[in-house]
Amino acid sequence: MDFDSIKTESFLTRYDIVVETKETPQEIAARMYPPEPALRKVAEDVVFLKAKNIQEDVQAALAEFTPNQVIDGGLLRGIDIVSELYGRGIYYLPHVMVAADAFDKGIKLAEKNIAGGRETKGSVVMHAAEGDPHDIGKNIAAVMLKSNGYRVIDLGRDVLVDDVVKTVEAERPNVVTGTALMTTTMSAFPKVADRLQEKGINIPFICAGGAVNRAYVESFPMGVYAAKAAEGPRLVAKAVEGWDWRKIRENWDQLISGGK
Amino acid sequence: MAAKRFTKTEYASADELVFGESKYPLSYGLGLKVGAGAVVPEINFAPRPGAEKNPETLKREYVDYITKDVLDRAVTLGFPAVQLENEWISQMGANAERFARPIVEGQKAMMRKYHDEYGIALAIRHTIADQREGDAGLRPGMDTRHSYPEKLMESLEVAVKSGADVVSIESVGGKEIADYAVVRQDIRGWLFGIGVLGSIDMEWLWSNIVDVAKRGKVVPGGDTNCAGANTAMFMAGGYLDKDIPRTFSAITRAIAAARTLVAVECGATGPDKDCGYEGPIVKAVSGRPSSQEGKGAQDAHADLMGNLIAQTCDLWSNESVEYHPEFGGSSVQCWLGVIGYEASLMNAAKQMKADRTLRDVYVASDRFRSPEAFILAYDNAFKIGQAIAANGNDYYLRAKAAGITAAELIQESNDKGKLKLTKEEKDTLSRAVADLKSLPDEQSKFLEWALKEYKDVPAFDPRNYEL
Repeated sequence: MDFDSIKTESFLTRYDIVVETKETPQEIAARMYPPEPALRKVAEDVVFLKAKNIQEDVQAALAEFTPNQVIDGGLLRGIDIVSELYGRGIYYLPHVMVAADAFDKGIKLAEKNIAGGRETKGSVVMHAAEGDPHDIGKNIAAVMLKSNGYRVIDLGRDVLVDDVVKTVEAERPNVVTGTALMTTTMSAFPKVADRLQEKGINIPFICAGGAVNRAYVESFPMGVYAAKAAEGPRLVAKAVEGWDWRKIRENWDQLISGGK
Repeated sequence: MAAKRFTKTEYASADELVFGESKYPLSYGLGLKVGAGAVVPEINFAPRPGAEKNPETLKREYVDYITKDVLDRAVTLGFPAVQLENEWISQMGANAERFARPIVEGQKAMMRKYHDEYGIALAIRHTIADQREGDAGLRPGMDTRHSYPEKLMESLEVAVKSGADVVSIESVGGKEIADYAVVRQDIRGWLFGIGVLGSIDMEWLWSNIVDVAKRGKVVPGGDTNCAGANTAMFMAGGYLDKDIPRTFSAITRAIAAARTLVAVECGATGPDKDCGYEGPIVKAVSGRPSSQEGKGAQDAHADLMGNLIAQTCDLWSNESVEYHPEFGGSSVQCWLGVIGYEASLMNAAKQMKADRTLRDVYVASDRFRSPEAFILAYDNAFKIGQAIAANGNDYYLRAKAAGITAAELIQESNDKGKLKLTKEEKDTLSRAVADLKSLPDEQSKFLEWALKEYKDVPAFDPRNYEL
């Protein structure tokens, strides 16, 4: 059979190629860099995944700028550019992960120079549900939250309801998250929500994962659905702004589609 | 050591590969024949959240509702043969005696009743849960927190003794490295995690599964790299997704085939697991019956080879659907209709001696839809199988050869202007080939490098693999 002779146009449209952008990452990044050369170098290291250069360049920037300026103007600006490239479909997830590795190295060095440590935007307790060994989605979400300036307390996978509740009680985060791949492990989520409410804790509980759907998550108190890891920072930002879970739920469509 | 390593493919040519036929057909369960001239629908299901409240509620869900609905619909629509698959939920694996045994027994009793009354050929596959965790330990005696390796073996015993006709598993060896590698687009890490560590774990695991299954006179089916290659494939997704380039996931799939083959080398007889999209390659090498899923598994996920992947199947599956009502009946009834009618189409084509034509129509539909579909098309799957067999005695070399062959097939078609790729997919392909070709020619040297390179990956413990 000569499959190469088949004309596929009548039954296949490669939309990924139809909409492929002609803009390069360099062109987009150039419009977003900070003007200061030392900070730009730091941002470039993040955008172009140069983890090997980042410590040297952060050190050089710290000679001219305060640690917070290096973080905000260099490292976080770099992550902003990476997010833009990812949002436009030019960068793929591995770019984000490797950029986050570079960001991590840089931020550790900058933080050493801040008395009392850096102030984060907020904190998030994360876990994969009891009985569920699948945690790749949670790990991706954790990287995205960390590189957006949040403190992450990652409890890992197959986490007991009790352990989630105890940690949330002790850490008092802005948000708690749970992921599950199976229908029968996600049923731990309403138990977590109930137990937290019994203790007077009423924060947004972002739930996500293969088997999880919005209707289910909104069937128990505190539940806020996320379809993708990349939605995490947007939802957590609203919690930190002071939106409660009901308000996030009510505005969910706008929040999620507004970010596309 | 594995009982046998494939150093040549069981099929002499790609054209011999076709749905509903395998070199080594099977007969099991209540009159079911697989790979013996007809495709059988395989229906898989998941209970509703909350059904796991206690053993009684879970049994009611699985037996009284799901199994009964499936059997009623199979008879209603006149399907001559059906295989059920029960993928164990965590509660069944955690307490097999209490939660799983009544379900396995109940399902079989109900199936026997329908078989006796209507003569319908039936069998059930039980896919036990692999909840082992790398950081806790993959082998018995290592996981002092959950005892997951021990629970896995206990699950197997319960399934075998209580009514399973086929046992399978979606094993997770090497997943800790594969998860790390896939989000970093690191093909060398993937090769280490799935090609080498996954194969080593499979050899231990499947030697044990085959032993228990054979003692219990139950068919040791096969495995799938669902935990690895499907993670890559679903992250790669469709044309709106940008998480993993699809050229990368195609190469991971070829590597996964070398690993999934180990089950057969340890004595598994097929049918392998439906969600192992590497099935066409495994079948090309082993000649064993294969279960596959595609357009009839849209209840569970979208893939870019809905038609193509039916090309060489012996069972045609829906992957899994949560039990719930639809307009046309319960979800399991509706999806059994979808896969059962497709199996009827394939079997009618067989009767009319049009099966190879239908196979080629399936392939033509999706061959250029994605790089992963392209490398799994039976002619390319056969070539990858040949590359595996040519290096069959060495887990590392054969997995590497599978990856490189897949990449070269994609490149060749793209160069001819047939399989179109985005710029990122092209760049990824070039990088992956360069990375794979830069690796040493000996497994010992590769291991020496990889053990240093990945020593700090969370949950990775070389002792799990006797390294």
